[in-house]
Amino acid sequence: MGKLTHQEFISLLLAMGAMLFFARLAAEGARLLKLPVVTGEILVGVLLGPSFLGHLYPTLFAKTFPLFGEVGVALDGITKISAVLLLFVSGMELQMQLLVKQGRAAVTTSLLSLVIPFLLGFSLAYYLPGSFEYIPNDGLLFALFMGTAMSISALPVIAKTLMDLNMLKSKVGMIIIAAAMFDDLIGWLVFSLIISLLGKGREVSLVLLDVSVIIGYGILMLTIGKKLIDKSLPWIQKKLSWPGGVLSLALSFCFFSAAFTEYLGIHAVLGAFIAGIAVGDSVKLNTKAREIIHQFVTNIFAPLFFVSIGIKINFIAHFDASVTLIIFLLASLGKITGATLGARAGLFPWRESVAIGFGLNARGAMEIILGTLALQVGLINETIFVALVIMAIVTSIASGPVLRWLGTGRESVVTRY
Amino acid sequence: MDHTKLKKRPAFPFETIGVAVAFSPRLEAMLNEAKHYADAFKSQVVLIHIGEKDQLKEETLETLVTNIGFIKSKLRIIWMQGDPTDTILQLCKLNMVDLLLLGALEKENLYKYYVGSIARNICRRAKCSVMLMVHPQVAPKRFKKMVIHGVDNLKSVHTLNTALYFSRTEKIKELTVVQELDIPAFMLTTADSTTNSEANKIKKEMVEEETQKLQSMIDGVDKQDVEIHLKTVSGKPGYAISNYARTKSYDLLVINSPDTPLGLFDRIFTHDIEYILADLPCNLLMVHSRV
Repeated sequence: MGKLTHQEFISLLLAMGAMLFFARLAAEGARLLKLPVVTGEILVGVLLGPSFLGHLYPTLFAKTFPLFGEVGVALDGITKISAVLLLFVSGMELQMQLLVKQGRAAVTTSLLSLVIPFLLGFSLAYYLPGSFEYIPNDGLLFALFMGTAMSISALPVIAKTLMDLNMLKSKVGMIIIAAAMFDDLIGWLVFSLIISLLGKGREVSLVLLDVSVIIGYGILMLTIGKKLIDKSLPWIQKKLSWPGGVLSLALSFCFFSAAFTEYLGIHAVLGAFIAGIAVGDSVKLNTKAREIIHQFVTNIFAPLFFVSIGIKINFIAHFDASVTLIIFLLASLGKITGATLGARAGLFPWRESVAIGFGLNARGAMEIILGTLALQVGLINETIFVALVIMAIVTSIASGPVLRWLGTGRESVVTRY
Repeated sequence: MDHTKLKKRPAFPFETIGVAVAFSPRLEAMLNEAKHYADAFKSQVVLIHIGEKDQLKEETLETLVTNIGFIKSKLRIIWMQGDPTDTILQLCKLNMVDLLLLGALEKENLYKYYVGSIARNICRRAKCSVMLMVHPQVAPKRFKKMVIHGVDNLKSVHTLNTALYFSRTEKIKELTVVQELDIPAFMLTTADSTTNSEANKIKKEMVEEETQKLQSMIDGVDKQDVEIHLKTVSGKPGYAISNYARTKSYDLLVINSPDTPLGLFDRIFTHDIEYILADLPCNLLMVHSRV
């Protein structure tokens, strides 16, 4: 069994220390500038990675962030675990009832903001893959992925933007949140299906089997799984040490679920996401425990994940202006058009519909996680990945000012019941 | 009867009270409760039994009705066969029932939760107000404490007015409107980019905003001599108020009826009302405002 040498262990600790330290500095800077925190974290990664530090001081970079050998494996493991945990906490915030509560507008917005960008992304990637300067091994899966990448939203960034604009509880805000939740859910389900089909045949029976497994597992966890969680949580929170008991058991549940879906050939993140929905939906989960899980993951694993992206990828070498522009335009056009038309179909006025379109266009962390996982399994290349990250950051930064400029939708929502 | 009048018919007064009759050990208590409310609200009573009509059942019901002292001119007994939920709902519509009384267990097991019990299924689809009684008494007692679900919904004002009508008739002194604070994705949003004081400030502002809205609704209704308290609780909508009602030992929880009939989806991605129905904290009055 390979193990870290004394020197490698020091390198790993230094790397993690540096990543967390600079990520925090950048996060605070981003907070002051009212920018999404993920922007600062990605920027730190780019500055510390091969794009800048590695380019200017290759020896220092190689010593601080040895990406090859045992340290590289350890860092890769941490990144993968971070992705699993990030999906777990994202799942914890998912409230599908919100979609029903917001009524027709939420349903039409969710559907069209998902379908139109998906179709645009899928069509261009399937019929004109050359637009992305990439020859995929599997054209269909690549097209499915690009469709998914264009249709996913980023709940954390969107919710933060709405909160800063005092629109979170507004009619427009709630529609955006409900649609973002729906788009995320479907996006991750489709992504899991793509992963499960990697390297397999295209027989209908295989596809149906994978779809049934994904849906079946989701239903099982959200019915029996959730009831078991409801039954056990009060005991865990009362009898076990606080908050250690609930924290470690919640995370172990997340890892078991992730391991199970990974074993089934679906990606581990789906298991974590579904486990997150089941745990987060439990009314018995103490608010403080929920907060601790969020703090733990968001402030330790999220920065490690997002900084590591910039450390692994050379953003300058892999930057292609035309691919980036195509992806940005495709994503924005699809999402803004789809969400705007969806909101209009839900009887929103034009101005508010456009605000919903721009609000949902923010991709943030979810797009970056999705892109990272796709890159890991070889669905896309570095150029497309860099373009996806830039698109995610630009759309996240732009959504706030655009919503402010549109200056609409602050009136409060009347919830359905 | 002119059934077109059912649409937009006000939620109160309770001119006709329906009672779902099951020949269970709680039958006598349920009938006594029905008599109590019929007297209080000066209502007609429709007893509905879904099942075979036989001599024993007929005699049992006749004896109980006589012993309890129902006014025969204001009482109808309907015997019908068919699917209990569908048939009761249909009969309520045909007889223009304003309030349907049902006996219910506090809790359901997992199987029943997803498949649904008759009482709960009626609540999920009823087009009239429904009262689920968890502890019907042979000697009915007046409720002392009532809690109302303060949801930001157009129907809430009708629910509040109905609760006031109920409380005045029943002389309930303690009436509390509870609003729930649940901000979607709040923790995801504040975990890495907000200081503790900023997060608390945001929360406080949201509570104040919601309280103002609710207070203006309360100010707009005719309270007469009833004092209404306003309370905010944190947690998942439906569960938080259910937990509050249980902890504070309320006698009656008053909620809006669902905007659309509740289905299996609402039990998987739990609807607010499903949290209440899953484990009834006390008696439940679900007001159907027919707007």
